[in-house]
Amino acid sequence: MSIAARRYAPRVISVSHLSRSFGSITALDDVSFEVARGEVVGLLGPNGAGKTTAMRILTGYLPATSGAVSVAGFDVMNRSLEVRRHIGYLPESVPLYRELRVQEMLGFHARLHRIPRAEAKRRIPQVLERVGLAERSRELVGNLSRGLRQRVGLAVALLPSPDVLILDEPTSGLDPLQRIEVRAILKELGEQHTVLVSSHILPEIEAVCPRVIIVHKGRIVADGTRAELVGKLAGGSHVRLEAVLGKDATSAARLLGAIAGVRAVRDCGRVGIHQQFELVCESDLREEVGALAAVRGWALRELSWRAPTLEQLFARFAVGHEELAPAAESAVPAAVNEAPQKIEINLGAPVAPPAAPPARTIYSLNPFDRGAQRDLSRPVSSDPTQEPPKPG
Amino acid sequence: MRGFFAIYRRELAGLFLGPLAWTLLCIALVLNGYLFLLYLRGSGGDVDLSLRFALGETFLFWVLCILFPPLLTMRMLSEEARSGLLEYLLTAPVSDLAVICGKFAAALTFMALLWGTVFVYAIVLAAQGASIDWGVVFTSWLGAVLCSALFCGTGLWMSSLTATPVVAAFAAVVLNLVIVLLPLLAGLSGVGFLAIASEAVDVPSHLRSAFLFGVVDSAYVTFFLVWTGFLLFLSTRALESRRWR
Repeated sequence: MSIAARRYAPRVISVSHLSRSFGSITALDDVSFEVARGEVVGLLGPNGAGKTTAMRILTGYLPATSGAVSVAGFDVMNRSLEVRRHIGYLPESVPLYRELRVQEMLGFHARLHRIPRAEAKRRIPQVLERVGLAERSRELVGNLSRGLRQRVGLAVALLPSPDVLILDEPTSGLDPLQRIEVRAILKELGEQHTVLVSSHILPEIEAVCPRVIIVHKGRIVADGTRAELVGKLAGGSHVRLEAVLGKDATSAARLLGAIAGVRAVRDCGRVGIHQQFELVCESDLREEVGALAAVRGWALRELSWRAPTLEQLFARFAVGHEELAPAAESAVPAAVNEAPQKIEINLGAPVAPPAAPPARTIYSLNPFDRGAQRDLSRPVSSDPTQEPPKPG
Repeated sequence: MRGFFAIYRRELAGLFLGPLAWTLLCIALVLNGYLFLLYLRGSGGDVDLSLRFALGETFLFWVLCILFPPLLTMRMLSEEARSGLLEYLLTAPVSDLAVICGKFAAALTFMALLWGTVFVYAIVLAAQGASIDWGVVFTSWLGAVLCSALFCGTGLWMSSLTATPVVAAFAAVVLNLVIVLLPLLAGLSGVGFLAIASEAVDVPSHLRSAFLFGVVDSAYVTFFLVWTGFLLFLSTRALESRRWR
């Protein structure tokens, strides 16, 4: 959903200045966000970021310390029962009565939600079919595996056909195949319901949710569609070029920098006879770069595009403690939307690289080398006979 | 009280799907039946007296009354709080009071069923030709049920306070014991405030002095209902306070 569409759609979840503390521990600190009808929003954050607390407050299970929360137009504190009638909730631990059969568990929830018996009879098989449990409806919940129980939990959340679905880590404990299935279910759900999904698993969120809210230490550090967030990431996407250019790398860099949409050209040095460049650009400019190479007669060895993933973004926010200023959007220079053929080539100024490029450090998400850093400004492979030239 | 019946049905099913309820029922029926026979023989065939013994006059009755309700209610809230099932219940469109009352009603139904076996004794004896005062049988049963209701209330309250079923059961048994033994304690110690307290919660004499003789005194019924209601109110508050902790 675009920003404009989101602005005018009715708000189903509205959270403003929400704080919650447990004794001296602040779980949520001045959190504000809104979710419009029909949106699928991912709540992303490391363990202990406050995702579950936020969800519990939204469902009315926990009260907020301060701030206002409304779901489906009702205040969560004062009109709790109305709110509960409009939500389907899958708690993190998926608590179920082990001694009941799958069917009975759903029957119990149908009665809790006051679904008329005839309708419940019709809906229960439908919901079970949807989560892929149709053949197991007579089995005891206690005998099901973790993944299947997760599905029962999902079925329970779906049963009342709620306006808002709040799913706390719906894919935890599932095998990869089941994850794919749950993702497919979530995608399908997004067409009919407003869905709020939490996870600490990035590809999960990336695959399912068009909009992502990144929570870290009880605060929202980023909120937007994936494209928006990625766009805000200073650096944008990268086109990597490795070609035989002859001796004059500087003029080639100038030419590359003149392509519309290129924000910066980074000279990554020379490997043998091949010169490497990294172009920071707004979008995928491989074709333009390729055309330029063809015109100039450069022998291409590599031309690749690398969009920053949510994973990198997440690493920046969560590990690097970097906060995204709202003004970051203006970091994109105005020249971006100029005519495709930018004729003016500023020969005087040193285009590439703009200054000595700061060593880009990426924080690894691998739990075993937390804090490990790699300097990506240096070429990965290098000519053993030759000292790799310093950029610039 | 939305959802009361859903929770009541679920709890009753939960009780009877597990082994605990059947075990308790079995123990109680064997002991009660055997002792009833002994009373019958000992009293020289006085049916009314034997029934009165079975429902309120004997040590066994009070042991069952003190022990069973906590065992039934101990898991109802504490285990659900621990397993997270309460999170489901408290986010479903059901009020806290309905949750408490549904669970309470399930435990009470079990106890009513347990005491209801005296009707079987009475029916068997009537079939053998004894003359049964059905009114006394019924009021005795009603008294036993009301008394159990109070103890189910303490059990549920304790269960709402802790996340460990065993602790809940132990605390409730101790509390029940204190309630039952309070008149005795007050008599023995002669401390003033104990006497006042025992007058306020004198469960045994409230049961013995009316119900067992076929009298349904509204004051005595109110006594049990008010105390039970108060305990359920405390449980509801305790459940609510979980959200604030």
